[in-house]
Amino acid sequence: MTSVSSQASIDQTSRENDAVAHRATRGSLVAALWTLYVLTLRQHLHGKRWMVMGLLFLLPAGLAVLMRVTSPDVPAPALEFFLVWIFIPQALLPLVALLYASGIIQDEQEEQTITYLLVRPIPKWALYLVKLLATFTTTVILTAIFTGLTFAAIYFGENAPPYGGQNLAGESIPLRSLKTIAIQALAVISYCSLFGLMSLVTKRILVVGILYIAVVEGVLANFPFGIRLVTVIYYSRLVAYRTLTFMVPTPGGGTMQDVAAEAWQLDVRADPGLLEHPQFGMCIKVLLTSSAVCAIVAAWICSRREFHFKTPEKD
Amino acid sequence: MHLEVVNQVARPVEVTPIVVFHEVSKWYGNVIGINKLTLQIRAGVTGLLGPNGAGKSTLLQMATGQLRQSQGSVRVLNRQVWNNPALNRFIGLCPEQDAFYEWMTGWDFVHTCARLSGLRRGEARDAAKRTIESVGMTKNQGRAIRGYSKGMRQRIKMAQALVHNPEVLFLDEPLTGTDPLARRDLMDIIQRLAGEGKSVVVSSHVLHEVQSLTPNIVLLNHGRLVAEGHVRDIRNLIDKHPHHIVLVCDDYRKLAGRALAWDDVEGVRVLADQSALMVETRSPDDFYGRLPALSLEDGMAIKAVYSDDDNLEAVFKYLVNK
Amino acid sequence: MPIFDQGYQHWSGTLSGHAWRWLAIARRGVRVGLTNRLLRVVMLVAWMPAIALAFVLCLWGLIEQKSELVAPLAQMLPFLVPDLLADPRAFRVEIWTLCFSYFMWIELYFSMVVILLVGPNLISQDLRYNALPLYFSRPLRRIDYFLGKLGVIAAFLAMVIVVPSLTAYVLGLLFSLDLSIVRDTFGLLMASIAYGLVITLSAGLLVLALSSLSRNSRYIALFWLAIWFVSSVVAATLDSANQQQQRHQAWQASHQRPGPNFGGVDYVQAEIDAAKTNWRPLVSYTGNLSRVGQEMLGTDASWEKLSQLAPPSQRAQFLFVYMGPQYPWYWSAAVLIGLFGLSACILKWSIKSLDRLK
Repeated sequence: MTSVSSQASIDQTSRENDAVAHRATRGSLVAALWTLYVLTLRQHLHGKRWMVMGLLFLLPAGLAVLMRVTSPDVPAPALEFFLVWIFIPQALLPLVALLYASGIIQDEQEEQTITYLLVRPIPKWALYLVKLLATFTTTVILTAIFTGLTFAAIYFGENAPPYGGQNLAGESIPLRSLKTIAIQALAVISYCSLFGLMSLVTKRILVVGILYIAVVEGVLANFPFGIRLVTVIYYSRLVAYRTLTFMVPTPGGGTMQDVAAEAWQLDVRADPGLLEHPQFGMCIKVLLTSSAVCAIVAAWICSRREFHFKTPEKD
Repeated sequence: MHLEVVNQVARPVEVTPIVVFHEVSKWYGNVIGINKLTLQIRAGVTGLLGPNGAGKSTLLQMATGQLRQSQGSVRVLNRQVWNNPALNRFIGLCPEQDAFYEWMTGWDFVHTCARLSGLRRGEARDAAKRTIESVGMTKNQGRAIRGYSKGMRQRIKMAQALVHNPEVLFLDEPLTGTDPLARRDLMDIIQRLAGEGKSVVVSSHVLHEVQSLTPNIVLLNHGRLVAEGHVRDIRNLIDKHPHHIVLVCDDYRKLAGRALAWDDVEGVRVLADQSALMVETRSPDDFYGRLPALSLEDGMAIKAVYSDDDNLEAVFKYLVNK
Repeated sequence: MPIFDQGYQHWSGTLSGHAWRWLAIARRGVRVGLTNRLLRVVMLVAWMPAIALAFVLCLWGLIEQKSELVAPLAQMLPFLVPDLLADPRAFRVEIWTLCFSYFMWIELYFSMVVILLVGPNLISQDLRYNALPLYFSRPLRRIDYFLGKLGVIAAFLAMVIVVPSLTAYVLGLLFSLDLSIVRDTFGLLMASIAYGLVITLSAGLLVLALSSLSRNSRYIALFWLAIWFVSSVVAATLDSANQQQQRHQAWQASHQRPGPNFGGVDYVQAEIDAAKTNWRPLVSYTGNLSRVGQEMLGTDASWEKLSQLAPPSQRAQFLFVYMGPQYPWYWSAAVLIGLFGLSACILKWSIKSLDRLK
């Protein structure tokens, strides 16, 4: 670069460079984003982290086997409710979402590898959204695999009626497990979006996330008050209740008990159609919309954020 | 220190600055990182110097779009930097922190960085191969980075900065912790890049290394621009500190008497152990002009002449340690 | 020489012994921990149960003295059985024991929170910033290092458990105006302190072991949460399933033995019988700590004495509802000792001295 240029030719050169750059980056941005997506997936899977996650997710299946051995008279639908509809959504899903989503940007910052991403021609908002998408992928796959395994552990070998491939309501078990996986996947996506946003808003994402899981999702969601309208688990429970049945035979098998209505504080006696609660479509819209809003707000915050190294953070 | 003739790329004739800081300030709460700095960095190799906490990292991070200036404007290649990711296609950064995706191999890391820069698969593969070869890491490219030595890590860091063939390169302390061999190789790479027409900004506080790379420096202290330009020009402007010129001569005492007679000589110190004389003068050019005639006089053959403060270290010391 | 060298002077004295070297590490860790505002808030909030305990003990002291101040209050609390109020001094040990038992149960959860805030960083940050050579290049042994780190946890847990319980004890004592309380309840105070030590050693070593496994303290914190929270949920889930199993078995048993009770199923009795061999609460880490605490504080004996105040037909039910897990306490002790040993092995394996560091 040895030519002497006037200001006008400088501007002309810049415009030409801009045009070239724009053409180059338009196509190559897709390549860069795909690479970032794959990189994030690889980060999730390398090392011992996925093994520990796997062990955690194998817990329900392991418990199912243990319960079938130690409590053989407990009906399979009851086991399914304890493990798939209490244990997984209240303990595992939010924790795993917190672990992965809180690290979307914070892990890169702590490891100081975010510099290598920031100096690439990738907009910061796109950086966040792609990493969030990769987080969705990892958590949904983990949820799908291990919920499926749990179903298999609960219902495998249950050939005698009424479970021969079907539950008491005549639902096909494989179809039921697919519906369950879809509902759990929607819930984990909502959690990931929420915790991803929280991780950009507060440094103490872990404490805030745990408080949210324990207090909001764990306690407030179980009260029959309006407060549960702000919880993810309430909507996923409603979707589940409207698409699946949760009737469990009482001891002796003479009568059936709606375990979900009792456990989830749904007053089906006074309101059999749950008309006072959001409908199926509204629940799906709320979950998807809230996830989208959290993702967009987080991407906006990320686009305006500075990432400091060696330099002091603002007070 | 002997006066070194730095064999550098000639300073470009063009006036187009590569990086322009205009009235830039950056503060962190109550702490001012950069204080109303106006600076233009031109093509070629430029050394960015300053003591710890001077603002070098802040400046580099603003130039690469990682930090936003609180005031003023920062332009690279005549484009605004902040929130302009497309500009990163033309910028390469070798950061100071020793951070990698440790589980990746060297090749994997450079290739991934190439793909993140938008290169297509085939292009990225070729670019990674070429760049790794240029930094001398072909033999070790298949090993995980966690097993690399410090020199290897610096080379791979350099490689990721070069892989997308940027026009402007920012190197933040690229030679830290490297052994002499790796240091020599990295300096050769920097000089070769400058020879290829790239603009390189090297931030460091290791003066002799920067001096070997370039005489064009930018000196910061406490977030302010202290000096900018050629080392010798800056040195000449430092009136407060006369130049120290050492003359090695057998009859140094007689020489001292003759030197004291000149008006521009402010002081003379005898270095008996070296059979030499150190002269302090405010007009080094005039003094050098008189030396040939002086040397021809009886018994005063001057065996060696050098200046021990016509260098970066002296400039740094005089300007920073005020 | 009249002018003295101001430069570096090598220490020519004797170094202190190994006995207190861990204290330097512990002191530094406590100072760093106290800079965490959230931790300070938690520690402050952890004193509220102690204030409540002191209040209840003072109240009981006044009841023992049959003070006029509490007479109206006694009428407002229907669970205070007349026999209890007639001779409160006879139930002093039991009431104090149960009050301390509830206090320790609440403080156990505060301890888990404190460990969550303090523990994960202790070793993982040293691993992240490669600080281990800084420690082991000095005349420090690994045991000094571990004791120092454990000392940090011990200091904070002492502030949350030991000091509040001691303070509440002293306040309760002061309001009783009867020195025989010391004779009756001193063992309880010692047991509380010993229980605090058990929590410190068990939970402290466990979190140190976790912290030594990763450089990222966030994962450590989540794993700690999994051990604390998820294990409790797992235990509760297993218990629920077991309860269902008991009901099914009780139903089958009552329908297979025709007799006076045919068709009438006594689920409660089945659960009471099963509780003595119910191993499921062993899965819960805090459950095990609670069970050991139950034994150390002697709460079972206190409940049994109080159950004498209930009608004979309701005593079993009373004990089942209030007494908590009934399996042998040494099962929980064995689990805790096993975890202690595992933690020690993990620490030994993951933290190597300087000559063996990579």
